[in-house]
Amino acid sequence: MTSAVAIAAVDKVFNPGSTDQVEALRGIDLTVAPGEFISLLGPSGCGKSTLLRIVGDLVTPTTGTVAVNGKTAPQARKDRDYGIVFQQATLYEWRTVVRNVELPLEVMGRGKEEREQRARAMLDLVQLTEFAAHFPYQLSGGMQQRVAIARALSFEPSILLMDEPFGALDEMTRERMQAEVLRIWAQTGTTVVFVTHSIPEAVFLSSRVVVMSARPGRIAGIVDIDLPQPRDEVTREHPRFYEKLTEVREILRSVDRS
Amino acid sequence: MTGAVTTRRMPSVGTAVRHYLPAGLIFIGGIALWETVVVVFDIERFLLPQPSRIARVFVDEFGVVVSAGWLTMRKAMFGFAIGAIAGISMALLTSRWPLIRDGMMPFAVAVNSTPIIALAPIMNNWFPITSIWPGAMVVALVVFFPVMINAVRGLSEVPAGSLELMDSYGAAPRDVLFKVRIPHSLPYVFSAFKVGTTLSIIAAVVSEYFGGSRENLGVYISQQAALFHFAEAWAAILVASFSGIVFYLAVVMVERAVMPWHASMRNVAGT
Ligand SMILES: Nc1ncnc2c1ncn2[C@@H]1O[C@H](COP(=O)(O)OP(=O)(O)OP(=O)(O)O)[C@@H](O)[C@H]1O
Ligand SMILES: [Mg+2]
Repeated sequence: MTSAVAIAAVDKVFNPGSTDQVEALRGIDLTVAPGEFISLLGPSGCGKSTLLRIVGDLVTPTTGTVAVNGKTAPQARKDRDYGIVFQQATLYEWRTVVRNVELPLEVMGRGKEEREQRARAMLDLVQLTEFAAHFPYQLSGGMQQRVAIARALSFEPSILLMDEPFGALDEMTRERMQAEVLRIWAQTGTTVVFVTHSIPEAVFLSSRVVVMSARPGRIAGIVDIDLPQPRDEVTREHPRFYEKLTEVREILRSVDRS
Repeated sequence: MTGAVTTRRMPSVGTAVRHYLPAGLIFIGGIALWETVVVVFDIERFLLPQPSRIARVFVDEFGVVVSAGWLTMRKAMFGFAIGAIAGISMALLTSRWPLIRDGMMPFAVAVNSTPIIALAPIMNNWFPITSIWPGAMVVALVVFFPVMINAVRGLSEVPAGSLELMDSYGAAPRDVLFKVRIPHSLPYVFSAFKVGTTLSIIAAVVSEYFGGSRENLGVYISQQAALFHFAEAWAAILVASFSGIVFYLAVVMVERAVMPWHASMRNVAGT
């Protein structure tokens, strides 16, 4: 089976040769299996977003190769393999909620009937059915983020890329959203690459946590999270949950010291 | 954009009254003050006529000033339409070629801050002076630059994330233009339109100060002033102000219909 994402020997240098040159990533090797939920975790500025954006073909690597579903990243983008969710919901304010969710389908030339039906289904999934006709400004931050997730899922992308999607949310909403994303992930079977700097969030959600170190960004360790599926509030009290937290924290600490 | 769900409230009669009351009071107070000052200090009527006298002349001369106002307003609207269409077309054309756009913008901004109205006498020579054209061309120029500048900004200053999402959907450039850049530019364009309504009435009236057919508002004002008929001049100025307000409100109504989603539309009655 081809891997969902295969990153080999990737380096990224921003503005090479100029005084504001930044070596964001060095020697990244990472393989993600289809249907995996993988988190990128690390201190601010370690290159998590950059790595995610390289996978999504929003940034090109300086050296190395990226294969997505056995294709190059630009080809995967043309094939509409990616659903992307940023930290900001990035809704189009002139479109109602349902028309925001329909936008990718519209761009992909799907028929009106299919669009409406898909958008409905996605809004049901994120429990915003009654808000279909609202404009983004009429929603709370958490609701906007759920619309962004619905939009990213509307065309059934094989890979979901999420960059700190819950960064702006309060703890309660955040935990609810985490449960929701897990439910959606279980239902759709997509591959998820998830950026966060919250250790509990990474451990709770992921099948594997990729811990990164800063300057230059490198992979410091990968922790398998072999907690039982499906995960729920009980998982957070599981003794293995604490062991995994500690394991991840220790790698981060060793990175910090060096 | 945090907190609870907000829904659009219809302003009740009570809130509408409370909203417009201060402006109404200040208007009435201002007129009363003007009237009093003129009477108390015995100001010569050719320097500053009383509002009551202007009102009387306005009623007497109603037919003349209103038809003059309508002619000038038509000129302003015609010029506005030309300037707005040209400005938007230019912005759309140059949005395809950022190099041309970036090379042109500094000049557009520079020209925009010059008194374009100074071209009026030249336009009077270029076009038949009694026709609608010389004035309309000045208006068009005055409207063109702010509309083009704002449209260019609206089309180009789209947040990076919005464009990256479209990229990630594999969107074609025309989809990016029609589904993101153009809708994003609407608030910018309408803000230029609103400025443009006022500017276009000013430009139409002032360009008529430099000559034109006698039925026009600007010609009427300058002739009455030259004859020391100041109340007549003021009555005509009143018509010009009123035209400006009507034009502005018309654009605001279109704006509301076109962008119910925009921030400026959220609290119609104010808070
Ligand atoms: N477009 C860019 N141009 C120049 N440098 C950049 C660019 N994007 C990122 N960088 C640099 O690359 C490094 C990694 O940035 P990145 O955004 O990937 O970090 P991050 O791990 O996502 O951090 P955070 O947790 O704060 O979001 C930083 O030093 C940043 O300054
Ligand atoms: Mg980041």
